[in-house]
Amino acid sequence: MTVQPNPEGLNDHPDRVAGFQAEIESMKVKAGGGQNEAKLLALGIALGVAGLALAIYGGIMVQNDANEYNQRAFMATGSYIGIAMLIGGAALFVRYSMARYLRFWLIRMVHESHANTDRIVAAIERASDHPR
Amino acid sequence: MNGDDTPLLQLEGIRASYDAIEVLHGVDLAVPVGKVVALLGPNGAGKTTTLNVACGIVEPRAGKVVVAGRDVTGVAPEELARRGVITIPEGRGIFPNLTVRENLQMATFAGRPLAEIEELAYRQFPRLGERRGQLVGTMSGGEQQMLAMARGLASNPAILLLDELSMGLAPLVVEELYGIVAQIAATGVSILVVEQFARTVLGIADLAAIMVHGVIRTVGTPEEVEDELSAAYLGGGE
Repeated sequence: MTVQPNPEGLNDHPDRVAGFQAEIESMKVKAGGGQNEAKLLALGIALGVAGLALAIYGGIMVQNDANEYNQRAFMATGSYIGIAMLIGGAALFVRYSMARYLRFWLIRMVHESHANTDRIVAAIERASDHPR
Repeated sequence: MNGDDTPLLQLEGIRASYDAIEVLHGVDLAVPVGKVVALLGPNGAGKTTTLNVACGIVEPRAGKVVVAGRDVTGVAPEELARRGVITIPEGRGIFPNLTVRENLQMATFAGRPLAEIEELAYRQFPRLGERRGQLVGTMSGGEQQMLAMARGLASNPAILLLDELSMGLAPLVVEELYGIVAQIAATGVSILVVEQFARTVLGIADLAAIMVHGVIRTVGTPEEVEDELSAAYLGGGE
């Protein structure tokens, strides 16, 4: 195997480390991205559950109260806000669970592509070892 | 080897888990400027997870990743890679269904032109130049590892993270590749090497750390950790 163990051309700038430190220093660090994602997913679930509970509560209270004024109040604070929370929670849940799912899907696609190529290469090698 | 003892990469009290299973239980590790640090240990010790935490792929549950004195915990891996924290993963991370040249093209994300990347890669690994139009999946394991290294080096790394460089390669090829790693470190690049099979890497490492069951058990010069190695691999880590 031919290897030319000559790192010439690497780190052309003698102050690469200093440059690297400066670059890291100038980074806009947005730490905790993954943790935020998990928190927003949990928030989505919590909002959805709370919204559903509120909507059901509003619905029951509207049915059990003959006073029209109270019914409107229950509809506004219970059902409408509850439904809005449910929709918001569902949107957050779909957004962040889908992001996770799509990431795994992408990794799986890459992995399968590698495996397929390995199989094709192995088949070609087998075929070339045993020509007809 | 040049460089001083100022750490360019530091892991402080890292705890990391895959869902409910914690695999790193408070890892502290430092890679000084221009030094080669070997992270050794048996299969399943948490070495690759440590590397993935260092390059930002896995976000720790607790602890800090400090690069060049700055806390970069949770920063996206591509952000770190763009600035010079380069990983050569286990399995090489190359595209077997693309040619050598097309694989090198992938390294242009950092802004370096393809011609320059090719020039550097083929000068360092002439064999790659001869095979520039060949599908990578049809090349030998050693050549694939060279391509992975060439692609990593094209990004002008300040910190190089190598995962199981020797995997599936003949001892002679491994020795040659580690010769190159030593020379890369001599240019000021800080290198963290994860290896299950320790002997070859100890020959070029400035420091070695032994990891067992998600904790670093010993850190020292290769001579200092040599005695601990057998115990770690034979299950004496409890």
